[in-house]
Amino acid sequence: MNCAECRENLVACVEGLLEREESLQCQAHLETCAACRAEHAAITRLQQQLVARGPATAEVSLVNPVMRRVQAMQNDRERNPIMTKLFTRWGFGLGAAAGAAAIILITFLVFPKAQATAAEVMARGAQAVAKLTSIHLRGQLRTLPAENFGYINPDAGFYTVELWKQFEPELKWRVEKPERVAVMDGQSTVMLIKTANLAVKVPKPVKSAFDTDWLHKIANLSNTITNELNNAIAKGWKLNLTEERGADGRTKDVVTIEAKSGLPDNDYLKNSFFDDSDTRRVYVFDPQTELLESVKIYLHAVSGDKLIFELDQIDYNQPLDAAVFQLELPANVNWFQNEMQKLPDNEKYASMTAEQAARAYFEAFRRQDWTEAEKFRRSTLDDQTKKNVGSLEIVSIGESFTSAAYAPGGRFVPYVIKLKSGEVITNNLALKKNWKTGRWWDDGGF
Amino acid sequence: MDLTDKEYVERCRDGHQEDFRVLVDRYQKPLFAFLAGRLRDGLQVEEAAQESFVRAFLSLKKLRKQESFYSWLLGIAGRVAKEQLRSLKHRQQDCEVTESIMANVADRREDYPLEEAIAALPESYRQVILLRYYEGHSCQEIATRLDLPLGTVTKTLSRAYALLRQELAARESAETTVNQT
Repeated sequence: MNCAECRENLVACVEGLLEREESLQCQAHLETCAACRAEHAAITRLQQQLVARGPATAEVSLVNPVMRRVQAMQNDRERNPIMTKLFTRWGFGLGAAAGAAAIILITFLVFPKAQATAAEVMARGAQAVAKLTSIHLRGQLRTLPAENFGYINPDAGFYTVELWKQFEPELKWRVEKPERVAVMDGQSTVMLIKTANLAVKVPKPVKSAFDTDWLHKIANLSNTITNELNNAIAKGWKLNLTEERGADGRTKDVVTIEAKSGLPDNDYLKNSFFDDSDTRRVYVFDPQTELLESVKIYLHAVSGDKLIFELDQIDYNQPLDAAVFQLELPANVNWFQNEMQKLPDNEKYASMTAEQAARAYFEAFRRQDWTEAEKFRRSTLDDQTKKNVGSLEIVSIGESFTSAAYAPGGRFVPYVIKLKSGEVITNNLALKKNWKTGRWWDDGGF
Repeated sequence: MDLTDKEYVERCRDGHQEDFRVLVDRYQKPLFAFLAGRLRDGLQVEEAAQESFVRAFLSLKKLRKQESFYSWLLGIAGRVAKEQLRSLKHRQQDCEVTESIMANVADRREDYPLEEAIAALPESYRQVILLRYYEGHSCQEIATRLDLPLGTVTKTLSRAYALLRQELAARESAETTVNQT
């Protein structure tokens, strides 16, 4: 077989479609001809890229859901030409530009009557707070005092969470729970984890940060309604409106939203954070002022529904003390390193699996080699931690896993360690891979 | 015999909206793979893929080159993915998470030109590539389905590979130039 014949038959050869004799001839030619071998290798590489698409898309079945949406929209377009314009402009996305009036219109057209009425009450609430200058929210959340702002735990006690937000003359905010506080002072955004004496700085003003978004959403009702209705439309969340008599004897409008995280029940992070939970959100409005009066959020847990958050105070447009937006940091605060640097022997760490990184990390603790341990961290170890974890014993390291809600590439490594004190700790070490250095770093769980 | 993309697009525009089903069926898997190169998890990818098809349906009348339906669909999907990433970025303000997301996108950048290169193939080549790799048919099955001799299928594949390699090399070269300037 010469080169021309080999090239002509190469795909059939790779696909295993040649007769035995032809196939042997093709193989024999490839062994002696570097150019054809290179061509063969190039085709094989391309095939490998293409073959990799197969398993990833094997279960994809979008035809029916897409056609249902197309059909629903087509019906709406025929019913009302205004819908055509709205959907063409925003699709089902209902961009942030959509005002409350447009939302009322859409919900009346899309939802059954009861849901539309519920949406209308929320939209009026959004209009009522459209020109806020400031807001202060205080609520009780089932959480752990030093954990993330969005962390929820149905078995934990209630802790106070507060948000102060100034909209004018410039945006500033503060979110606080007992052992964690974040402040955006108009220039930068800083979070302090008090128990760890650890501070994290985002060197610019941001609308929300550090997992405080869920609380900002409640404060910014105008956006909340857009988000909630967007989700209700796109994900089939249910909205409902009822009336109840408040403690002051007056009738209140109660809007209930059944929110779904979309995460499978067996996902490790499901129901651990606000936005990753299946919840029933109950908004109570005063029908006269149309203002939001309270919010209660219930977690749909396996053991039954449980109240996890209750907003017990809302102050609209009250003057906020300037000191609220100042954050006093301890002089010896430990700063989170926003950037990781490559190490001279970086490749050794970049090539580790999550399990290997976890083992190396704990091994460094066992040897009390703090320099080595800090290669897996974004902050230095304090003396108390060193005292606690020095000379620990690794009992076991399990196979890593991840969650759809965790950062891309992040892994959880199950571990059991025994501290010098005799205490045995069983937990999952959260490891994230830093994209600049390729190194794993301890993101929690230890 | 299946109609071409252009013919299906024309039929949809003429009021046969049910025919859009064929276009969804034809491109759902490569579109999913394209979005999987940009977004972080299956649920997000599925949402974005649905949204892309729906937006495409709503805008079909704006499509000037009907034969370029798939390439145009990828453009829509790219915008939808960007919107989702922006929304995710707002949701997870933790700077490291954002960094990881951007890293993830950067890391996977090398993956999704493949779908764009497939979109640039002439339809007859694209059809064989999609059937072979996204639908998982053997060459013999493709030959039966398209009523073609087996040899024609392997030759079409061979030509499609050559065109894909050319296209990918051209994109890589363009990207290298951009990165060096």
